[in-house]
Amino acid sequence: MNARLRPWRALAVVLTASGLALGAAAAAAAPGQPSARSGGHAARAVTAPAASTCDPKASSLRPAGPPQVTPGSFMAKIRARGYLVAGVDQSTYHFGFLNPLNGQIEGFDIDMIRAVATAIFGDASSAHLHLKAISDEQRKPDVMSGTVDIVAHTMTISCDRLKYLDFSSVYFDAHQRVLVLKNSKATSLDDLRGQKVCATTASDSVARIAAAKAIPVPVTYWTDCLVLLQQGDVAAISTDDAILDGLAAQDPWTKLIGPPIADEPYGLAISKQHPEFVRFVNAVLQQLRTNGQWAASYRHWIGTPVAPIPQAHYAG
Amino acid sequence: MTTSVDVSSGPVTTAPVVRRAWWRSRLEGATTPARLRLLLALLILLSLAWGVLAALTANQHASAAADVVAVSEPLSLDAEQIYTSLSDANATAASAFLAGGLEPAADRQRYQADITKAAIRIEAASALVGSSAARTELPGHLKNQASAAGSAVGDDLAMLSGQLPAYTDEVGTARADNRLGLPLGAAYLREASALLRGTLLPAASDIYTRESALLTSASAQATGLPLIVIAVVAGLGLGYVLYRSSRWLSRHTHRVVNYGLLLAALAGLVSLVWLAGAFVAGRGDLLHAQQQGSGPAQAFARAEVAALQAHADESLTLIDNTGDDDYQKDYVKLQKLLGPGPGTLLAATGSSQAASQAQAWYRAHQALRAQDDAGNHPGAVAAAQTGDAARSFARLSTTLSEGKETHQAVFAASARNGRDAFTGLAVGMIVASLVMVTGCIWGLNRRLAEYR
Repeated sequence: MNARLRPWRALAVVLTASGLALGAAAAAAAPGQPSARSGGHAARAVTAPAASTCDPKASSLRPAGPPQVTPGSFMAKIRARGYLVAGVDQSTYHFGFLNPLNGQIEGFDIDMIRAVATAIFGDASSAHLHLKAISDEQRKPDVMSGTVDIVAHTMTISCDRLKYLDFSSVYFDAHQRVLVLKNSKATSLDDLRGQKVCATTASDSVARIAAAKAIPVPVTYWTDCLVLLQQGDVAAISTDDAILDGLAAQDPWTKLIGPPIADEPYGLAISKQHPEFVRFVNAVLQQLRTNGQWAASYRHWIGTPVAPIPQAHYAG
Repeated sequence: MTTSVDVSSGPVTTAPVVRRAWWRSRLEGATTPARLRLLLALLILLSLAWGVLAALTANQHASAAADVVAVSEPLSLDAEQIYTSLSDANATAASAFLAGGLEPAADRQRYQADITKAAIRIEAASALVGSSAARTELPGHLKNQASAAGSAVGDDLAMLSGQLPAYTDEVGTARADNRLGLPLGAAYLREASALLRGTLLPAASDIYTRESALLTSASAQATGLPLIVIAVVAGLGLGYVLYRSSRWLSRHTHRVVNYGLLLAALAGLVSLVWLAGAFVAGRGDLLHAQQQGSGPAQAFARAEVAALQAHADESLTLIDNTGDDDYQKDYVKLQKLLGPGPGTLLAATGSSQAASQAQAWYRAHQALRAQDDAGNHPGAVAAAQTGDAARSFARLSTTLSEGKETHQAVFAASARNGRDAFTGLAVGMIVASLVMVTGCIWGLNRRLAEYR
């Protein structure tokens, strides 16, 4: 069994090594500096419906130094149990997907969660890390019920979700955009008024599709959307560019169009009952930001140029 | 008719009495030759009436029995085969998908064979439904039922032949994407599976239900009692009339035996015995075909299909990698349906071998799920592909499909025997009635000649 796990461990070594070399370059990208990805739309797009005090990008808890498994903490409980249970995606190319070539779930999200498991157990073998593939719809209930300890699933930190869940600091900056077939004349979501646009059930993209007067078509997985687009059942898919890039990579006859519709800062979701675990995970993410692993992961899964590392802002 | 006379009041009940009196007075007042002519006309009429009634009865049973063999049985067999082949294709496609880009050659061949078989059966069934000639010989109410079922079945078949290419297209895309290492492949396979389960299988199941009902009703028509009872009573009545006629002749002509009437009586007796005998034999065969053949075969087929669907669920759960758990929930549902236990599909087959094999498979499946839930996905996939779960399912599947085929063979043989029992019966009845008419004319003409 262990022999099967070697590939990813080898990958982790490579990532760490290359990360060390390139860490300086990644860290040099100053926070808040405008980039091709985040553009100038962030301010317009962030919507805090209820509380004006809610800032999704600065809502997490400050880590108490480097990650440490303190006695009596949730991390100690996980260590005693023997494994960490993570809810992940299995169909989003480059973030969390079941690789048909080796039968393993891999991606950028998975690298983040492996780092958390490594911080608890010293390694992230399948004995210590149980990856549970869940749908978008299951993310919130699974974290709240404790079915999973943590969710790494291209999950946007939103004020609405913050009422029920805690999130880590932002580990990826995504932006909602639109994917259409290459021969489509549409240039933005506004051109798709009255047409069918696909998104997953319980994703925050559905509401924005409806707001743009297009007809949302909800499905279970993002790849289901690409099936519908290829079969001509929907005119477009609208969600985070991170996910759309993964879909476009599977079909060269598609293109991303229009300006970013909304900011989608990704965080790892954790139950509100374990604030010490939130601080612990933030400490792990901080290590990834500074030791070059984040940039290495980005380069491996998403490519170059590597985007500026999203900097952590804490509420308290 | 008689009941309406019975319930009505005085004046109406006297009508038959009046008519009898009229007959009597005419007969008593007439000369002997006139009486003989009257008797001859009556006997010819009765003989012909018997011939028509007996031939009608024979024809009804013969055509119903022929329909069982020629149309209903092949159609319900086609429908069952379409259903089984499609379920097997889906289970095989899912299992081959699990193997990744390099799917086993045996799986690919099995999938192709299933699709080909389903396509051939769809075409064969369409041809059968299209041949309206096969249905036109059916008697009244059965014909109506057949045409109503025929159009619905025709719609289902059109849907099947239209959607089958869409299904294979999606499986093909899933395979190509899977081979490239794209997660999109799994989405196409889910889509294909949903198309098969949501559209193709319900259509096949609808055909099967309708054709089974038609088979049962054609079989009931072939084995039904009312018309044959009327025919036998009429035959006995005719025999009595012939007997009284010869008694009357021997009184009036002082000859002991009238050979013409004897011939008529013998022809009547032969036709009556033939009709009753053919009916008893044919009914016995058709009932045997139903009880020992199509009934158990249906039970085995239902169990086989449920097992195949559960097997597809097993693979799809692994492909979906726990996802929504929908496939595992479906597996548990099918497991309950399949049994063994009172009222389950396996209990209906009465096969204790299948029951123990099913339980062995459930145990292997549980071990596989436990492995997968503990994070050992590759181990679970191996179990589903070549391990314990794969082997125990293959054993169960073989038992069920062999049981089904054995009983289908019993049905085919018995139903053919049943149909053959009615061969030539209708023609025989008409010939017999013509012999009777000839006998009566011959016998009475000789007596009439004596008065010229």
